[in-house]
Amino acid sequence: MDDQYRHIFDAMPCYLTVQDRDLGVLAANRKFRDDFGDHTGRKCFQIYKRRSEKCENCPVEQTYHDGQTHSSEEIVTTLDGREVSVLVQTTPLLDADGQVQAVMEMSTDITRMKRLERQLRVSRERYRLLFEEVPCFISIQDRDLNIIEANRLFRDNFGSHFGCKCYDAYKHRDEECLDCPVQRTFQDGEIHHSEEVVTSISGRQLNTLVYTAPIRNAAGEIQSVMEMGANITPIRELQSQLEATGLLISSISHGIKGLLTGLEGGFYLVNTGMEKEDPKRLHKGWEMVRRNVERIKGLVLNILYYAKERQPQLEVFDASKLVEDICRQMESRAGENQVSLSMDLDVDQPEIEADENALRAMLNNLLENALDACRVDKKKPQHQVWISYQSFPSHAEFRVRDNGIGMDRETREKVFSLFFSSKGTEGTGLGLFIANNIAKAHGGRIDVESELEQGTQFVVTLPKRDTRSTAVEEPPREKGID
Amino acid sequence: MAEQKTILVVDDEPDVLTYLSTLLEDSGYRVVQAGDGNQASDLVKLNPPDLITLDVTMPEKSGVRFYREMKESQELKAIPIIIITGVSEDFERFISTRRQVPPPDGYLAKPVNREKLLELVGRLLTSA
Repeated sequence: MDDQYRHIFDAMPCYLTVQDRDLGVLAANRKFRDDFGDHTGRKCFQIYKRRSEKCENCPVEQTYHDGQTHSSEEIVTTLDGREVSVLVQTTPLLDADGQVQAVMEMSTDITRMKRLERQLRVSRERYRLLFEEVPCFISIQDRDLNIIEANRLFRDNFGSHFGCKCYDAYKHRDEECLDCPVQRTFQDGEIHHSEEVVTSISGRQLNTLVYTAPIRNAAGEIQSVMEMGANITPIRELQSQLEATGLLISSISHGIKGLLTGLEGGFYLVNTGMEKEDPKRLHKGWEMVRRNVERIKGLVLNILYYAKERQPQLEVFDASKLVEDICRQMESRAGENQVSLSMDLDVDQPEIEADENALRAMLNNLLENALDACRVDKKKPQHQVWISYQSFPSHAEFRVRDNGIGMDRETREKVFSLFFSSKGTEGTGLGLFIANNIAKAHGGRIDVESELEQGTQFVVTLPKRDTRSTAVEEPPREKGID
Repeated sequence: MAEQKTILVVDDEPDVLTYLSTLLEDSGYRVVQAGDGNQASDLVKLNPPDLITLDVTMPEKSGVRFYREMKESQELKAIPIIIITGVSEDFERFISTRRQVPPPDGYLAKPVNREKLLELVGRLLTSA
């Protein structure tokens, strides 16, 4: 080698070696000698890696094989035991015939770069882990409220349909919520919060405290918004027991005020009817009294069922008779609202083992709800409410169906929530909550099928407790007698 | 005898409607009934009454909307309106949400005190 080249070779700020076919180091530059000592008669892998055998993927060997340049990343150990990450590159040195005579290997120290890379990866993983495992629902949303990323808890509870709208994932709504904190953050770049009731994929209602924060790009523009929701359902449940009492009182007092006015009206008509000797007026007044007393009775029953979790008092009774009885009481009210009431009863097996008073309250609430749904619906000239009872080997089934206003998905999902009422201030928000609790206390459930402007159907399924024992105790009944 | 005055009674509860109508008719007034705010709106435009009793806590809050419509209309704002409601909080919220709308001419809480209602109706109709 020329002296000039020898000089350059020596001064290169990397490890330079020239190796023979057996990976013996023929020549090495100064930096190599400084860090790895004398190479005479030693092999590359012995010096660099303190190994007795060659490495599995040796770029020098590959270059001997194909005459091409190769590279790899390796960790080598210096004389004083220091580990150095190197980027290895090999070049063939050709003879006059174009044959590979030797291979030059250049190893650049990339330890610092490697360390930075590792740190970056670790910190990225740490943030990822934090994002994933934070016990909050986190989603990243774009300006159109599309979810572009979400953490594990969010995905577990609301599904991982990235690209779907926030209000769809959280509330199953078709349109944006009224006061959207994400939109507010997009507008002013500030942190906003709100409390929302959301529905998980398993159908559970969750109270969440939602915070939103802007995510800006390098230019400082708001690119997306992070929404973080903490599940405060347990707190709300505790609180609601306290608040519920207050709400219950105000809601009941409103209900009672209305009923008292009706009752007073009835008294007025009865009294003046007697004074004027007007039997028509008297009769009308008496009907008003009777109706409002009935409704107060229903309200009191509801309060009772709300105030105390009652174990059902099981007895065997005639479910068809119960339904007939309830319908008779509701008939005049249905008539006033131009609703026709029809029944379909299982006369072959009318017995049911259940708490009769509780079922009465439950069916009353479902029927009242159906009548209200018809009353507020101005779009149809004729309304109908159907109630049916059917006995199956394993369960009993009541259905209450109406062709009233129907419900959207949000209302449908919240329909059994305490104090949720879609009837303005008129509803107490107690009735369906209690109906559902009564079904649950019997080990059963209520399913809702509803479509906006089409109508609603509630299906009550009550499992039969002990079919055999009741069948033995009860004498067989004649078909079609009831 | 003076000309018979007409009162529009607005309430979504049929029994309350019957009660107030009978009571007012017994006192010599002619009564027109409406079951919600929308129906009331139509009736008022057809034949303006001399006075209105209005329940504000009806579904859809149409009572509030009806009140606002009435008081924003040049031709109709002079008709006195008595608010009759069961929930005092709602009434307060109703009052606080109105803008540039005058307060109602009278307010009665349910259950209604008969004498007070008749006295208020009589006073508002003589001053009008």
